[in-house]
Amino acid sequence: MCVSPALFSFPGVCLLHSVRPVSFAPRSLSLSSSRSPRMAGWDLSVTVEDLGPDAPPVTLSVTSDLHVGGVILRLVEKTQIKRDWSDHAIWWEQKQRWLLRTSWTLEKYGIHADARLLYMPQHKPLKLGLPNGITLRLHACFSSPVFQTLMGICRMLNIRHPEELSLLRPLEEKKKKKDKDSAEEIYDLTEVPRSSGTLITLHSLSRPDMHTYEEWLSRPCLYNGMPAHFADSPKMEAIYKMLSVTQPPPAPEVVAKQYRPASVVDKAHINGRWLDSSRCLIQQGIRENDRLWLRFKYFAFYDIEPKYDVVRLTQLYEQARWSILLEDIDCTEEEMMLFGALQYHISKVSQSEPKLLSSSAAMDDLESALQSLEVKMDGESSSASEMLHVTICFRPKKLTLKGYKQYWFKFQDTSISYYKSKEESIGEPIQQINLRGCEVAPDVNMAAQKFLIRLLIPAPEGMNEVYLRCENEQQYAQWMAACRLASKGKSLADSSFQSEIKSIHSFLAMQRTNPSSHGNTPANDESINTHSLVSPRYHKKYKTKQLTPRILDAYQNVAQLSLTDALTRFLQIWQALPDFGLSYITFLTNRFKGSRKDEVLGIAPNRLIRIDLGVGDVVKTWRYNNMKQWNVNWDIRQMAIEFEGNVNIAFSCVTADCKIVHEFIGGYIFMSTRSREKSDTLNEELFHKLTGGHEAL
Amino acid sequence: MDLLTQSLEQETAAPTSLPTTTTTTTNNNKEVNFSIFTDLNESLHELEDTDLDALMADLVADLNATEEKLAAEIQGLKVPSPPPTGSNVSTPASSSASSPLPPPPPQSTKPTKEEIEAQMKADKIKLALEKLKEAKVKKLVVKVLLNDGSSKTLMVDERQNVREVLDNLFEKTHCDCNVDWSLCETNPELQLERAFEDHENLVEPLLAWTRDSENKILFKERGEKYEVFKNPQTFYLWKKDNKALKAIKDKDKEILIKENFCGTSAIVPDLEAVLHLKEDGKKSWRQRLFQLRASGIYYVPKGKTKSSRDLVCFLQFDNVNVYYGKDFKGKYKAPTDFCFLLKHPQIQKDSQYIKYLCCDDACTMNLWVTGIRIAKYGASLYENFKTAEKRAAVSSVWTNLPPPPPPPPPLPSTSTFPPSPPEPVFAPPPPPLAAKSSPKPAFPQQHPPPNFPLPPPPAMDFPPPPPLPPIADHSEAPPDFLPPPPPSFGSLSPLPPLPGKSLPPPPPPCFRRMDQSLPPPPPDPGFLPPPPPQPMFTGAGAPPPPPPPPPPPPPAPTAAPSAAVRPSGSVRKMPPPPPKRTTPTLPAGGGGGGGGEGGGGDFMSELMKAMQKKRSVP
Repeated sequence: MCVSPALFSFPGVCLLHSVRPVSFAPRSLSLSSSRSPRMAGWDLSVTVEDLGPDAPPVTLSVTSDLHVGGVILRLVEKTQIKRDWSDHAIWWEQKQRWLLRTSWTLEKYGIHADARLLYMPQHKPLKLGLPNGITLRLHACFSSPVFQTLMGICRMLNIRHPEELSLLRPLEEKKKKKDKDSAEEIYDLTEVPRSSGTLITLHSLSRPDMHTYEEWLSRPCLYNGMPAHFADSPKMEAIYKMLSVTQPPPAPEVVAKQYRPASVVDKAHINGRWLDSSRCLIQQGIRENDRLWLRFKYFAFYDIEPKYDVVRLTQLYEQARWSILLEDIDCTEEEMMLFGALQYHISKVSQSEPKLLSSSAAMDDLESALQSLEVKMDGESSSASEMLHVTICFRPKKLTLKGYKQYWFKFQDTSISYYKSKEESIGEPIQQINLRGCEVAPDVNMAAQKFLIRLLIPAPEGMNEVYLRCENEQQYAQWMAACRLASKGKSLADSSFQSEIKSIHSFLAMQRTNPSSHGNTPANDESINTHSLVSPRYHKKYKTKQLTPRILDAYQNVAQLSLTDALTRFLQIWQALPDFGLSYITFLTNRFKGSRKDEVLGIAPNRLIRIDLGVGDVVKTWRYNNMKQWNVNWDIRQMAIEFEGNVNIAFSCVTADCKIVHEFIGGYIFMSTRSREKSDTLNEELFHKLTGGHEAL
Repeated sequence: MDLLTQSLEQETAAPTSLPTTTTTTTNNNKEVNFSIFTDLNESLHELEDTDLDALMADLVADLNATEEKLAAEIQGLKVPSPPPTGSNVSTPASSSASSPLPPPPPQSTKPTKEEIEAQMKADKIKLALEKLKEAKVKKLVVKVLLNDGSSKTLMVDERQNVREVLDNLFEKTHCDCNVDWSLCETNPELQLERAFEDHENLVEPLLAWTRDSENKILFKERGEKYEVFKNPQTFYLWKKDNKALKAIKDKDKEILIKENFCGTSAIVPDLEAVLHLKEDGKKSWRQRLFQLRASGIYYVPKGKTKSSRDLVCFLQFDNVNVYYGKDFKGKYKAPTDFCFLLKHPQIQKDSQYIKYLCCDDACTMNLWVTGIRIAKYGASLYENFKTAEKRAAVSSVWTNLPPPPPPPPPLPSTSTFPPSPPEPVFAPPPPPLAAKSSPKPAFPQQHPPPNFPLPPPPAMDFPPPPPLPPIADHSEAPPDFLPPPPPSFGSLSPLPPLPGKSLPPPPPPCFRRMDQSLPPPPPDPGFLPPPPPQPMFTGAGAPPPPPPPPPPPPPAPTAAPSAAVRPSGSVRKMPPPPPKRTTPTLPAGGGGGGGGEGGGGDFMSELMKAMQKKRSVP
């Protein structure tokens, strides 16, 4: 893959090397020598933000050879405020740039008396919407490129691999929601000393040895399972819990109210909102206390390690969950049911399992082996041998109408045997059915007190259909659980038997709840509205009563998973969806100049696709590894990509700036360069090279 | 003549009659009958005899050894407790002296008494645990058809996966071991064929066969098995034209594989095609637009769009396997012969629960079958491929070495290895050793020194005759359990399944047996000849009490002499002992040592009965 991010020549790279990778000072190189020194003094007025919005600018008498550091020094002296000014810097409003090089003279910066300068902190509070829907308030760096700001934020939140995330301008919310917003709970992280958060980023950036920071990124040291700054107070711990524990399923109404993209074009619009990684927040019009969304942008998740990635995994799951609920990514009904089941399971487990425990210790230890043996023996001797003798009804085929007959049933290991009566149960059973590998389906109607278990038992001739009718809920839960386990080859002695019974009960309980109680019932652990587990489409399609059994059906395959496994499984299925990882951009091709028909470009981790809007079909696929180079003509905002075999495409983007497309492609190529062989350190320079374009300078 | 020389003799003799230890069971059935190796197509009686002989010998030996060991342990002597190798562990002291067996654990330094006790306790527990596991292991004798029409017979145990069986076959057949070699099952009635995946267990699908099944297992090269890793572009870039695909570079192939198989989950090629579907229970074929997704096969209902939300699930993969259909044009009037079908592995006859699909061309069919396999098995396919590749590379190195050290079969780290079959190939060198040691029934097999890789084939040497008498007595006492497997199974005869407890539902074959000869005695676990395992386990929680003394220990001496006699006498013994023997030993061990829920005992008594019966007939 020989991809050159071509673009325009790149004098700024050396700057990045040097002291501070502040990316907007290129022109001064040429300017500095052009003017002769003017030693005469002149007045420079600087607004000091800390004096208040109405305070007049502070006026200093300066000469052009005064360096910025000197200006700041005089400024601070003049304000006569004693405080820590270390985070403050001068922002040049007209030129939209920070004067961060304190050794540069005013002349070198090209500052004259007409410059409107603002002296203010580089870190300002920002409202950050997390993938889980919760808003955080934290200090973010407004003076460094967004990429570095993001690294600082991720570091504070304990999210590894910040390169996969980015900041997104939120959708405009409708005005009427304003009041509701104010009531929204905001978790405040502004108290966190910058030293533990963003500032360190700057420090490490100022020196090229990124090592400490990167080491932290790959192996963060934790106190009580969380980064030190979260262990400070109960309040902070609560925030960390919010970050690292999945949120309960949202009420169906909340889901329904949210904006849902209806078409590929709608989905394309969201991608126009990504911030530019190579420019700083304030340059992109973000002001103090503005709201931004933190989202995973590049769908190439590298090296997820549940031990270190608690927050990352949780937030990724939340993003995936919402993308499913909001139909941002399409899936089939079966897949939706499985997602629903997994959500149910995850929310249940995460409530009972406050912290992610590392997977159970290896069993090779003699002690543990022994214990498990004991448990097993116990189980076998007690429950397994004389489990569940009950009278239940039975009918072998559905066709016969009045086919139910009462028998005495016995469950043993993975088989059921039935007898004419209890008395005869000592002798030979009428029949014995091994349930291993069979399909178990519920057929339950709580209102009618109908508790049927439908068994599809594989036999050489096909599947035998058998129905068991239980008398009551209790019996049903037990037999259902037993059948489920047996179908997986597990006996009743299996430790999961009890939990299986419990979960069946809770599903029954969900079915019992009045479907009309659509109210904003908080999601108690036992009574989750199944509608909150699926996207609004299915709210209309199915009643809770119909939905619950289907989710329960899917649930039986995942009920045994640990929290981490369940999260991983959810993400796996999500990633296996055909449309996974596609970010859409509408574009115009140059090839058919006359037509001016918008088309949609899908950007995936490994390829670009062109989608025909009419049919929704993929018309063309270009893989990155066939890409020779791509270019951006910044003047006419046009992208040109050259593939092997003399394939050239050129287009201009409609719904997003071409910088965004450029960053997507470069970003994915950057993601693919990560590998375990290379060190774990984040190659920030390469990222900027691949994604920066001319603006990086 | 001491045992060593005997065994040597044996060895020399063996090669002449059989070039390899492999049993080519075609003609020389009589002479070659080793124990469990049997050609089921031959007289089953023959099978039974040899089988039983061997198994019996094992059992006897094992019991014996266990008893001795226990005795030693109980006395708290410094007799090294056998390495915690599990059920094979029984090594009578006498035998160990003469045999070049792995050295006993270096305990001669007289550790403190507590240490010894603790060690012993631990060993015993481990032993018990392993025996418990062993007791329930199912084994099958399987006949595998080769390309040239000949066949190999081998024993497969429940825990063995197809990869291990393939390795055995590689050694038996001296093929080139390339990655395409596969084990396939065929079902003539349904006219289908499927290659087992390397990570699958072999026994389980075989147990689904019916008793009168005509199903076969083939050992052959199938190019499509790992085609997806050789030419991933044909699957993942199938939409591109052929020319572009052919021009693809190796590097791009690697990238494709990495992209699709090395992520968090394998990516299923997104296939979409119009396929012909045989309607449930009907004879007609109907066209539908199908899509493959990781979650299953879907179709687009008439008049709907192709968007995910409109798809209708045709089938999910949890409970079905995918099979190639053969000649469906003739059988089901399919539009083409490129058919595949999906069914639950247990279904063996035509049924409405089988889904038949027909493709326009072979290419589409391979695309779909492979796609379904990727969806079903995911990254394990790639793991399998890498293992197979490694194996192929190794084998090419070893092929020319005359006495190749037995490649350590991928055994479960637990000492028990069922699958000793692979060893036979290398048999030539090791057999002698084994023979030597054969008088002693069992060796700690866990870490055999390189020279003695072969699992002791002692059973071979122990002809059933001698051990029988003592056993017979016991067998009378415990009149429980199932009679020996009747000779009348298809190409595979399930060994007596060892049900965990006195479980009610013996698999159908068992019933068969019952009808057959032996009156099924009431299952009474208590009567088991092997020491009742229970006490041991209950004890395990606390200090484990000494394992119960093996109840009816057939005196080792008897066994040994008999072994000696046999080899010298008849041609029969000549064949190098097939390592399979070890396998049988294991279950025996289970029975003798702790027998878990009496499963082991089950097995034993069954054997004894069979032997008795056999005896009485002549």
